[in-house]
Amino acid sequence: MRAARLPLLALTLAVGTAAPRLAQAAASIRGRVEVMREPPAAAARPTIGELSMPSPRDLPNRRRSVVYLEAAPQGAFEEHEGRAVMDQRHETFVPYVLAITVGTTVDFTNSDSTYTNVFSLSKPRRFDLGRYAAGQSKAVRFDRPGVVRVFCEIHSHMSAFILVFNHRFYATTDADGRYRIDNVPPGAYTIVAWNDGEARETRTVRVPEEGGVVEQDFVVR
Amino acid sequence: MKRVAATAAALAAMAGAAGADPPAPRRFAVGVELSAALGPDDHGFFNYTSYEDSTLRLARLSLTGEWHVADRVALLGEVRDENLGPPRVYALYARVRPWLDRAFDVQAGLIPPVFGAFARRRYGSDNPLIGYPLAYQYLTSIRSDAVPGTVRDLVVTRGAGWRVRYPFGWGNPDPEPGLPLVNALRWDTGVEVHLGTGPVEASLAVTQGTLANPRVHDDNGGKQLSGRVAWKPVVGLVLGVSGARGEYLSRDVESALPAENRDYNAQQAWGLDVEYSRDRWILRSEAIWSRWQTPMLDRSLGAVGLTAEARCKLRPGLYAAARVDHLGFAHVDGPAGPVTWDAPVWRVETGVGYVPVRHVLVKLAYQNNRRDGGRVPKQTLVTTQLVLWF
Repeated sequence: MRAARLPLLALTLAVGTAAPRLAQAAASIRGRVEVMREPPAAAARPTIGELSMPSPRDLPNRRRSVVYLEAAPQGAFEEHEGRAVMDQRHETFVPYVLAITVGTTVDFTNSDSTYTNVFSLSKPRRFDLGRYAAGQSKAVRFDRPGVVRVFCEIHSHMSAFILVFNHRFYATTDADGRYRIDNVPPGAYTIVAWNDGEARETRTVRVPEEGGVVEQDFVVR
Repeated sequence: MKRVAATAAALAAMAGAAGADPPAPRRFAVGVELSAALGPDDHGFFNYTSYEDSTLRLARLSLTGEWHVADRVALLGEVRDENLGPPRVYALYARVRPWLDRAFDVQAGLIPPVFGAFARRRYGSDNPLIGYPLAYQYLTSIRSDAVPGTVRDLVVTRGAGWRVRYPFGWGNPDPEPGLPLVNALRWDTGVEVHLGTGPVEASLAVTQGTLANPRVHDDNGGKQLSGRVAWKPVVGLVLGVSGARGEYLSRDVESALPAENRDYNAQQAWGLDVEYSRDRWILRSEAIWSRWQTPMLDRSLGAVGLTAEARCKLRPGLYAAARVDHLGFAHVDGPAGPVTWDAPVWRVETGVGYVPVRHVLVKLAYQNNRRDGGRVPKQTLVTTQLVLWF
């Protein structure tokens, strides 16, 4: 819980008054996030009361990170009316980490063969979608920035993160840990690499007036 | 208990050695559940268990573990401590899937019961209320170590199952707790097989004790055969049919009986269970019919337990639940005419549960009990429970 609170504060303060203004000569910030620590195993409870081996399930990719500007350029606040999808497959939320902008509606599809449930008790968005069958989908709109932890009531080992930003200066790392944030106006920024709710690395980057590409790597331990 | 552990370990070793697959990564999962219920004194003994604790005044620490020794073998166990008493092993067994591509599993040791549905649920976090269903907890006036000598001997104990003594009975003359229809507080020892993962699943078990009296050590040389078939016609709906038959009287009381009465000693039970869940609702119901052969009465004593339960999510983290329960008993010809051999019981329990943060559950329940007999014919109890799990 403590781990989730830190980025929540950061995301809530994302529109900084002292931050640089949007400018025409925008640049990109890119780099790689190397996750050195071994993400803890999914917290599955022992299946004491079961009469058979549990079905094999996918493991979430917990090495994906989100990189974002802690204080976005002034005037960068935006509400995005878009949609995103978080699927449930083989008793796993896919993706494990979803980064969206305030105003986005997330469709929680169920591609599993069993009933599933999606709920969150996080302050930015508390919801419970009840139990619904394979092939069905339910949607939730996220109107407040912050970190939303998502769980399934039926399968205690299922969990995921939704990071809700009130600006667009964020990126999710790819399979190699690489990220790229485009159209960043010139100025000095605090940039954060976030991983699995517990690791958070902060750096300061300066985007030059002439634009270009700024490299910033992270090592998350 | 040593024999249980040895059997489980031996089965695990055999299955591990037989496998030609490459060794699987060792996986170990641990679970902890702490529950503490605080309620008034249950002086009617409506919620007392075979361990002589009330489920409404129960502090329980449960440690569970699951070790996947290989792809096809897992060792599972649970140790419980209740009300700061001595820790007890609740479960200890090996789970083996002989063929990885076939949904066929064998479990051996101190194993989960195949009969019915409730006894395999986790008490604190899977039980929306605080009390147990009557059929799984309420103590009747049947005992495994004593038998009534006459019908009169039996009916004088109506409504006093927490402390039964047959004045003219056979076997142990001391007052002791009676037996529930199905004991959810203890699991039985033996071997079970499970077939299927699709719409139809079947389980069959051979165990030392009976539904009412699960045992680690066999006390009468008889085995119980129990089974369940579950059908899931649509997602969210489960229908189950169960049956069980086993000898429930101990060797000590059998040896005290006349020779011609010794073989009339079985508990036989049938069960129906249904669960339907959709959106914010979970609906569950069970019916259990049990008959105990009673040697000196030369008849079997029937009982039926009926339970219906509903849980509705009101908002994220908050739910309401209710359970209606009845335990009925067959009539016998008592000294003053036909009478049920034990006092019928009705129970209504309603409550709310609140999850402030994940892994924490707070419940508040109102329970009303009525009994057609006994020293305390009705009782209302308000209880709260805190459950922590991870």
